[in-house]
Amino acid sequence: MVEKVLQSSAPSLADNCDAFIADFDDPILITGATGFIGKRVVECLLALGFRNLRCFARPSSRADRVDELRLRSCSGCNVEVMEGNLLNRENCEAAVKGIKVIYHLAAGTGGKSFADAVMNSVVPTRNLLEAAAKEGALCRFVNISSFTVYTNRDKPGGHVLDESCPIEQQAARRGDAYCYGKVKQDELVTSYGRQLGIPFVIVRPGYVYGPGKQAISGRVGIDTFGFFLHLGGANKIPLTFVDNCAEAITLAGLKTGVEGEIFNVVDDELPSSRQFLSLYKKNVRSFRSLYIPHFLSYGLCWLWEWYSDWSEGQLPLAFNRKRWYVDWKSTRYSNDRLKRLVGWSPKIPLDEGLKRYFEGCRKGKTHA
Amino acid sequence: MLRVGIIGCGKIADSHVAEIRRVKGCEIVAACDCEPLMAMQLADRFHIPQTFVDVADMVAQARPDVVHITTPPESHFPLAKFCLENGVHVYVEKPFTLNLPDAKTLIQLANERGLKLTVGHDDQFRHVAQRMRALVGTGYLGTPVHMEAFYCYNLDDPIYAKSLLGDSHHWVRRMPGKLLHNIISHGIARIAEFLHSDEPQVIAHGFSSPFLKSIGETDIEDELRVIISEGSGATAYFTFSSQMRPSMREFRIYGDKNGLFMDPDHETLIKLPGSRYKSYVETFLPPLNFAYQHLANVAMNARTFLRRDLHMKAGMKFLTESFYRSISEGTPVPIPYREILLTTQLMDSIFDQLAKNRQLSREYHNVSIG
Repeated sequence: MVEKVLQSSAPSLADNCDAFIADFDDPILITGATGFIGKRVVECLLALGFRNLRCFARPSSRADRVDELRLRSCSGCNVEVMEGNLLNRENCEAAVKGIKVIYHLAAGTGGKSFADAVMNSVVPTRNLLEAAAKEGALCRFVNISSFTVYTNRDKPGGHVLDESCPIEQQAARRGDAYCYGKVKQDELVTSYGRQLGIPFVIVRPGYVYGPGKQAISGRVGIDTFGFFLHLGGANKIPLTFVDNCAEAITLAGLKTGVEGEIFNVVDDELPSSRQFLSLYKKNVRSFRSLYIPHFLSYGLCWLWEWYSDWSEGQLPLAFNRKRWYVDWKSTRYSNDRLKRLVGWSPKIPLDEGLKRYFEGCRKGKTHA
Repeated sequence: MLRVGIIGCGKIADSHVAEIRRVKGCEIVAACDCEPLMAMQLADRFHIPQTFVDVADMVAQARPDVVHITTPPESHFPLAKFCLENGVHVYVEKPFTLNLPDAKTLIQLANERGLKLTVGHDDQFRHVAQRMRALVGTGYLGTPVHMEAFYCYNLDDPIYAKSLLGDSHHWVRRMPGKLLHNIISHGIARIAEFLHSDEPQVIAHGFSSPFLKSIGETDIEDELRVIISEGSGATAYFTFSSQMRPSMREFRIYGDKNGLFMDPDHETLIKLPGSRYKSYVETFLPPLNFAYQHLANVAMNARTFLRRDLHMKAGMKFLTESFYRSISEGTPVPIPYREILLTTQLMDSIFDQLAKNRQLSREYHNVSIG
């Protein structure tokens, strides 16, 4: 049965089985299992033949998604749904009991509050790590980070952003609570990993898209001011289709010999911002957009940043040069390390991924 | 230089720290939170030199002159009491305490120790609220007759609503008035400021909105209507709604001469003249007058913006500044203690009635089933 699944659903994944750190019966914990990526990681693990999954979900998680997970249990395959709060240490200790691999996908999403970002991303991560260290059975902690943690400031335009690029040192000055939370979470995983001897990998996806997500990446542009400002221009957008990303995460958690590694996840074919926007308008809905050239967007970000400081925060630091470097500076992206060390390659090509994404947007009557 | 400590490093602490940093003559010397990572993130972002997980340690080692308590409300009383007992002035976020006896105890303690207390009713110190207060002070209204306060809260906010509605153990649920307890004090305080009686009558009606019922949430009331009356004949209506659109926070106050309309969201204050023009003139001149007043508000807001003083939490800066002045220069506290007590008392009365109504409703339901 398992072999059939592997052959039909994920032949390339099956190729990796001999080099996994966990046996198929080993218990695996997935936090954020009802989320956009988390539920696909569960599917990937099941497709690989892992039979003992513990899915951690908040009580506020959508009931239909929790039920969907429960229905995954079948003969010889146990998908346990554990509801709880990662802010609660007892819940964390119960969740990691006997666990061999933790996929930590739960995170605070969006919001402007730095405190909320830390409370929803960093504190749960610390609780999980400490619980795992106490339990002592863990073989790997897979920490899901983001491209947002890179600074991308000092390299010339058009350079390749890879895992060696520096991390944002003054994350609070980016004005992005999510970035701050992720930087602190990565720091915590690295330092706890070393101090407590927990083997870990860090996976940093680019912009994850697919059915279920409806927003346009901020790297393309923003509609903050009531109309869409196109800021990306000819820049490549670091997209990764959700199924491809989930597969990369799954493999990064299982592959032998990659402890302490960091993996960026982007697909092979990346559209330019202009191409993406044009396709979006054609396939989802039409709207007016105004292109702002890079020199002008940089100048406006600089001006906003200056005014925010000068006015002691009368305007929040929503736009600034640090954000410009990350979101709107011309950059190329690499997935070489992921391919080389993990053996991943994106299965869903760009055309197919965009088709599914646009279809999902149309169904969701989405707005940019 | 006033030494300031922050107790509780959640979301609202950011606003406190940002506004304290705009006040001259003070420095934030420590941040304290029972979760060390939270204290550290606040200290990291705002360059606060010391962090603590225990209030006693912070008071003993950092020796603050004043602390801002920005923790969930159920801890306000014990933390404020501890700080007062240890000689520290206290700014408590709203709601001040969970009940009137606790509020009285804190105020008595502050008076006994010669310390100052205030509560985070910063909305009362927005520019427009100060303009209204000044106008009322000139006798523009005459004798107050009636007030109407709206305080709406939009449950569409995915962060707060999701964390509250999805968590059966959320701290908001542990308060006597639950969601209402955490939010309505701004609106109630606005009424309390202009009440003269210490024993106003309260009639309250609360219920769960159809929206909350549709998601199976009946434990929380998110709709509230209140009538307040005092012996002098003055009355007030208070409306809290999570469903009403626009989601507004307007305040109207009428005297026997004139009225005033204040809209804090739009920083707008409109005079409502009590006199009337003759015949059809009434249909032309007053609208022109209102148009002029709205334009004047636009101009005033623009001037304030250009002066770099139209911050979202400008009221908090003014309240903090006034409170610190009351500590260092001995001026009166910005919010009279009577007003703090009256606000707490009104809230107690409201929540008592809602609890009784819920009990009656349950008994009626049980009898009907029986």
